[in-house]
Amino acid sequence: MNLSDVLETTKKEPHCGLCKIDFLGTGVCSAGKKHGFVAYWPEGRMELARALAENEVEPSVALLDVVNSCNLCGVCDRQCYFITQRRPTKAQQALKDYVTTLPPNSLKSTPEDEIVKDLRTIVGNNWATNDPIIIASYIRSIIKQKSLGKYYIVMPQTTEEIVAIVKLANKYKIPYLPRGNGTFFGVALQTLLAEPATIEQGIIIDLWRMKDLHVDPETITATIGPGVTSFELQKAAHAHKLRANVAEAESCVCANAQNLGIVTTWSNTYGWGTDNFIDAEYIDSTGTIQHLSDKDIPNPYASEQGLLSLSLIPSVIITKLTLKLHEILDDEQAVFVPFTTLPEALDLAHELAKRNIGISLAVLSRKYLTEFISPTHEIAEDFNFIAEKYLKLNYVVDVICDAQNKKIVEELAEVSFDHAMLKSLILGSSKLASMKESSLLKTIAEEENPLKAVFGGPMRKHFEKGLASSPQELAKVFPEDLRDFFEKLYSKPELTNPVWLHSFRILPCRMERKHMWMYRGGYMPGDKKTILKVIDALEKPAQTYNIDGAFGFLSYLERGKLAHLEYDYYYDHTDPDARKRVNKAIVESWRRQFAIKGVTPLEFICSKGLHRKEHILYPFLPGLSEEELEHFEELIETLFGGEDTW
Amino acid sequence: MVKYLSKEWAELAKKKVLTELDKARDLKNMNTSLLNIIQNVPPDNKTMYFYIKFIEGNLEELITSSDESIKQKNAEITATGDYTTFVQISSGQMSSAMALLKNRLKMTNKMKALTITKPIDTFNGCIKGIQTEY
Ligand SMILES: Cc1cc2nc3c(=O)[nH]c(=O)nc-3n(C[C@H](O)[C@H](O)[C@H](O)COP(=O)(O)OP(=O)(O)OC[C@H]3O[C@@H](n4cnc5c(N)ncnc54)[C@H](O)[C@@H]3O)c2cc1C
Repeated sequence: MNLSDVLETTKKEPHCGLCKIDFLGTGVCSAGKKHGFVAYWPEGRMELARALAENEVEPSVALLDVVNSCNLCGVCDRQCYFITQRRPTKAQQALKDYVTTLPPNSLKSTPEDEIVKDLRTIVGNNWATNDPIIIASYIRSIIKQKSLGKYYIVMPQTTEEIVAIVKLANKYKIPYLPRGNGTFFGVALQTLLAEPATIEQGIIIDLWRMKDLHVDPETITATIGPGVTSFELQKAAHAHKLRANVAEAESCVCANAQNLGIVTTWSNTYGWGTDNFIDAEYIDSTGTIQHLSDKDIPNPYASEQGLLSLSLIPSVIITKLTLKLHEILDDEQAVFVPFTTLPEALDLAHELAKRNIGISLAVLSRKYLTEFISPTHEIAEDFNFIAEKYLKLNYVVDVICDAQNKKIVEELAEVSFDHAMLKSLILGSSKLASMKESSLLKTIAEEENPLKAVFGGPMRKHFEKGLASSPQELAKVFPEDLRDFFEKLYSKPELTNPVWLHSFRILPCRMERKHMWMYRGGYMPGDKKTILKVIDALEKPAQTYNIDGAFGFLSYLERGKLAHLEYDYYYDHTDPDARKRVNKAIVESWRRQFAIKGVTPLEFICSKGLHRKEHILYPFLPGLSEEELEHFEELIETLFGGEDTW
Repeated sequence: MVKYLSKEWAELAKKKVLTELDKARDLKNMNTSLLNIIQNVPPDNKTMYFYIKFIEGNLEELITSSDESIKQKNAEITATGDYTTFVQISSGQMSSAMALLKNRLKMTNKMKALTITKPIDTFNGCIKGIQTEY
């Protein structure tokens, strides 16, 4: 197999980083676990295969080591197929075949320079490198593609080692940048944010080895190192019947905390930002260790607001974070209220938020619902079509609450469904997709209120019967050699349990199956009028620049006073024209969002995550004046350069 | 070859700007004063100051100094950063706006600073031509 045979796959690889965590109980890549550097993980092998195919890197001896470390065990295919429908072993096979085409003894090892020698003195020989092959595996997930800079990768294990690395970088006067699991970079580096979010040369500090994790059930807190992912923390917390307010499974919690402050559907009750952070240990740019609880540090809550506050590089490296955990109730259950229009969904969700109903509460789009629960993108597309055309199901108010509150929601809602129906939808998704032209669906569509007919009325029985399926049935949509695995997997109760899925968040990266996406949206006052205005501000640019845009989810904070909205732009990041259009749409959406009072676009929350939210969101900004809006493009050009440089 | 931020460098920079740049076309008749606070200047990691003042696009003052009393000039904008960052800006490798986004510069009065970025970049482009030892 040639590298070019797998180029289509490797180019579109989204760097979701899920192959680095054991989210399906398969175990993880043993080579990755042993060697650490991204090159040894399936994600990195795919990037290497791409970089070699596109002549962005020359092979070195390290390539042999990377290639030989894989025994094609296939764990990564199971993990990756579940999320993105890709098979990393194909890229690995292509790499193995490629290596055999190289003339014997043609590969050279990379000479050490002073900096890498010093780095190795700090972390040990195995954990620092200047080898272009290892470095290339970090392209597009922290290093900008086609960057000409000189880089080093270092994997420290202790705070003291990071202190020494920062001091070393300062001594050599080169920049450094921490990396958690690289998933923020995976998204941002395809856009005009690539330059400001990265370093043009210097030391990449890969924090993956720093996995200290301690749950204290007595104080209901956890203290973690910067390599701990959301999934790992959630798992440890659940062992004590506790829950952490964490985002998608693969993100490192410390990275997420400093980057975006960690907002989730659980934020309705658990809050956001410092609502959950108790203390942090971090290292400043001089290499000094500080703590949030130190009395003499500069006010950690001070923060800039507005357009000029954008800063995508963290000012400190968090090396330890103590977070609040939350008790899990015995009677937590899910209830979903389907809607045809967004204003109706917002009305109910806001009412629930104001009354503090819903430990987890969100308005979810049809797009998210169908993409998350469908085993393949093709099924998701059919499901999406059916939901829109026949069921008129466009939004879902998605609630996890106790039994009592579930009753209240069910009383307030005209129709609703729960765990059992969601399980049917997950296991029956391929069956549903095959019913695209069925008379049952056509009959449902003719009902005056199809949602009521399906989820509350006489058709429900027929619909459930039509969907009835089993893990064995569902597994048929997977490639033959993976079917046994998927049958067993879908037989596990958690895979169809909405409470578990909301806690462990293993599904969001399914959004990246077909194309790349770019998160848009941000924080705003929780009133419906503002929310709808913001959605319009995000939708219009998508239409203007021919980008596939869709509402993702909305969650409320502070009993509905504030809202966090995610709206996504989906595009093919391997198409230069699509990238240009998406960049223009981003700029235009900023312009429109900043014109609305009290709105802070998501990017403008970045690197302010440990600060108390009040200082970022309050006072509500008045919205840019006409005059400022007139100069907006000029301002953006000044900040980001012209579009040719994006 | 003159040493970056030395008196000779400042003299040459001033001469070059006055002779080569047009106050309307290149410097957009700007009115501003800017104090760059340059930290960790080698060899002994001291702080240096680089102050410029324009009136109607005329370069009125260009001073480099290690004396912090220059702060008393109450510049309209101050930009604080590491020596390496200023070298990158002065040698045209990075715009000051990008240094700001990358968290390498701390600035006061950012809005004003951004409105004069273009003429300031032209100014930097001009002094970049000085044969400088960094
Ligand atoms: C599919 C998907 C869904 C998402 N959903 C949500 C969501 O619901 N809620 C939410 O809050 N976010 C969400 N995010 C955003 C994501 O959680 C954050 O961007 C998070 O930072 C990613 O973690 P990471 O480990 O991959 O970070 P990286 O991409 O490695 O790093 C992100 C940033 O943090 C910096 N950084 C990394 N480690 C540290 C450290 N220890 N100290 C200081 N800085 C550090 C990096 O330099 C970089 O600037 C989502 C992202 C994806 C891809």
